[in-house]
Amino acid sequence: MRLRYTLHLVGILTFYLGLTMVFPLLFGLYYQDESVVPLLKSIGVTLAGGLMLSLVFRGARGETMTHREGMGVVALGWAAAGFFGALPYYWGGVFSGFSDCLFESVSGFTTTGASVLTQIEMTARGFLFWRSLTHWLGGMGIIVLGLAILPIVGIGGMQLYKAEVPGPAPDRLKPRIKDTAMVLWKVYVLLSAAETVLLMAGGMDLFEALCHTFGTMATGGFSTRNASIGAYNSPYIDTVVIIFMLFAGINFALHYQFLKGDRGAFWRNSEFRFFIGIVAIFFLAVTFSLFGTVYDSLGNSIRFSAFQVISIITTTGYVTADYEMWPSLPQVILLFCMFLGASAGSTGGGMKCMRIMLLLKHTYKQMFSLIHPRAVLQVKLGGRPVPDDVMHSIWGYFVLYIGLFILSAFLLAAMGVDVVTSFAAVAASIGNIGPGLGMVGPADNYVHIPLLGKWLLILCMLLGRLEIYTILILFVPEFWRK
Amino acid sequence: MKIVIVGAGEVGYNIARRLSMENKDVVVIDKDAAALRRVAENLDVQAIQGSGSSPVMLEEAGIKAADILVAVTDSDETNLVASLFCNILSPTTMKLSRIRGEEYLSHEEALNQPPYSIDVIINPEAEAVKKVEGLLNLPGAVDVGEFAEGRIKVIGIRLDANSPVTGTKLIDLRERTKSKQILVAAINRNEELIIPSGKDELLEGDLIYLVSEEKNAKDALEIFGKQDEPFKKILIVGGGNLGFKLAKALEGYPIHTKLIEKDVARCNMLAQALNKVVVLLGDGSDQELLREENVQSMDLVATLTEDEETNVLISLLAKQMGARKALTRISKFSYLPLVAAIGLEHVVSSRLAAVNTILQYIRRGRVLSAMALKGEAAEVLEAVALETSDIVGKPISQIPFPKGALVVAIIRGDKVIVPTGDSGILPQDRIIIFSALKAIPQVEKALMVKLEYF
Repeated sequence: MRLRYTLHLVGILTFYLGLTMVFPLLFGLYYQDESVVPLLKSIGVTLAGGLMLSLVFRGARGETMTHREGMGVVALGWAAAGFFGALPYYWGGVFSGFSDCLFESVSGFTTTGASVLTQIEMTARGFLFWRSLTHWLGGMGIIVLGLAILPIVGIGGMQLYKAEVPGPAPDRLKPRIKDTAMVLWKVYVLLSAAETVLLMAGGMDLFEALCHTFGTMATGGFSTRNASIGAYNSPYIDTVVIIFMLFAGINFALHYQFLKGDRGAFWRNSEFRFFIGIVAIFFLAVTFSLFGTVYDSLGNSIRFSAFQVISIITTTGYVTADYEMWPSLPQVILLFCMFLGASAGSTGGGMKCMRIMLLLKHTYKQMFSLIHPRAVLQVKLGGRPVPDDVMHSIWGYFVLYIGLFILSAFLLAAMGVDVVTSFAAVAASIGNIGPGLGMVGPADNYVHIPLLGKWLLILCMLLGRLEIYTILILFVPEFWRK
Repeated sequence: MKIVIVGAGEVGYNIARRLSMENKDVVVIDKDAAALRRVAENLDVQAIQGSGSSPVMLEEAGIKAADILVAVTDSDETNLVASLFCNILSPTTMKLSRIRGEEYLSHEEALNQPPYSIDVIINPEAEAVKKVEGLLNLPGAVDVGEFAEGRIKVIGIRLDANSPVTGTKLIDLRERTKSKQILVAAINRNEELIIPSGKDELLEGDLIYLVSEEKNAKDALEIFGKQDEPFKKILIVGGGNLGFKLAKALEGYPIHTKLIEKDVARCNMLAQALNKVVVLLGDGSDQELLREENVQSMDLVATLTEDEETNVLISLLAKQMGARKALTRISKFSYLPLVAAIGLEHVVSSRLAAVNTILQYIRRGRVLSAMALKGEAAEVLEAVALETSDIVGKPISQIPFPKGALVVAIIRGDKVIVPTGDSGILPQDRIIIFSALKAIPQVEKALMVKLEYF
């Protein structure tokens, strides 16, 4: 791999990341809080760092990009974003150590929403806005944003796009990758604008509406309140957030087709039907187990069940109820939702419904061929056969995901974290959800995890967001060989 | 501007590559997953797997919104059916189709009519033969392009150590070239394209492109030390489609032609169809046969078999045995720079010829003709200066042309002007522009040729 060229591009990305820090600065200035100076310092350092990287390695410009370099740029670009994104917290003294700052920053960019911030309302608004903005940038992808608006790459665009938006079968909405990225961001901005307006209509001010929109549309989960969305205790806000969490969990290609006037776009898509079906089943199951046991009224059962189920399955991680107080069936369902995740091509994390659906179809095919040994069978998706190598890579991904989950849970348990917390914290980090169970449940946060454990979870979040391969490949020696 | 390409072979791939570099929306359809992967991984285009002749696939590729369909699979039938369905689904889309079979070509007019309504039929072999004929007229050149109905020629020549201009600065050369209206438009040095200024020096091994009026072309070659004797004796190795077409064309010249083919049945057919050409049965790589047929006194040995590796070897062999020049048929584009490096100057590729022709038609509208240069880093365009365009009415040096683009000739009525920085362009002038590939979109903009691709 040509490291110089890779670092040149990472430098450009970092530079533009520095520019995005101007938005929280504006809020800091407006509210006259103590975030102004740390943000200014961060902007300066990030811009200078990016500029230096790109200038020092300028010589390698104008070459075409290989697959390997595409993955390198994305992996290192995300690492750089996590690092520079942590600077405002560090200089602002929001956390005691840099590890916590990095945890919060990576959690933001990967749209996990796992927080180590204990006194949210006391924190300066400039920092809170940056925290939510990292969600929004990371949700659709910093590289995809770069492809859409920055003149950084021509020919290597496809390699970058594939490394950040791996998915089982990436949709190409337009012949050119730049246009595809542009379309995705337009849909993203449009939906975000709609939610902001609706939240403001529900009584939030612009700052809070924007922060929660960023958390919803990116399926992140950072809030400006300690009690998350639950702090507002408003059925209207709950409903708006539920609807937009669902939107964010659906393949954005379908939103685009729908907005272009194709009314049947959603229902024709088999992954969408699968996703909605699962949501409906889990919602009903949780509602029934809550009704009469936790909540006396059916209305409340429906409201809290719908919010929690959709929040977890779309990997958002907002909460309106402490589900650890619920019976065990809803808790198990929510834990399962963490693995399942949202649709491919959405901003959500997890293993993605598309993969689970294809794995189920494939498994059924295996059983069917035991009954009819001579049957010629093909796994189909939307009427089209799924190529064998795609099927293999999905199985590979499944095994890797579970393997990573088990290994990380072992390591976390070895650091002295209890059983439930180990499993839930890892699941919630790889799946980019945020709140888990036990010590990291909806009413607690990640501040009590040991230092080494936080670094492990940082890695898990990055692995989960970039669908494992892109990050994991950095640890393969062959990758660095010339 | 959207283009659907059916067929991801060498021709389809290269057209897609060129167009995607110019930021056009390109969709490629092919059945073969491996060929398609090459397209999807290397180019910024959309790749769809499926049969290009299927109307369902064409619709999925967005044929209804497409401006142009380019059907270039290896199968004539697939290309025809793709064009047919394209005409049914979207009659306004311009259709270019590659057709190689003689039986179809004999009814070319029928294919231009409904139900097919193919706008342009490209026969790669015929295009390649045209290219070879151009070279025959200028024996010293390695590449020739014609503009303004042949009045202007763009000539590529390779400088060797004993050329009189090697080591000269262009500014010193100007005295000798100016009176003849000859311009050095580009230098291809180590596969890198340079649009030169007066300070640039000509070096051994450079491939330089000259622009000249037709009547001065021979003088131009003389100045650059490339005035070669015309070809009188030609030996063709390989009597396939291309070999046969070339032999047929050569019958119209005062050239003594021999053709070697190793298949008996094919030889019989060739002997029947050809009158003046001597058809020989044998293996072109057989040294004895070559010596027997006096290869050392040949002006040109054209190796045109289907197997490009064999062609390269026979060409080298023939040159070593004393043939003056060799013309080698190559199919893989990636071999092109390599072949020049081992001393085989003259290369013909029916596929490259097809790509060039297709690009030329894609640029229809105000652009009259186009030529892609070897190494593919640049193109020569011919266009009409519109009254509304920015380029009209001011000295060339003030035209906001992008870097890498150069006006190399202005044709005003019967007059041909090789411009200097002070020359101006008038409305309705025809101008010839040399442009690096990357600058083409900006050139199009400057010309105000919102290229009417129809």
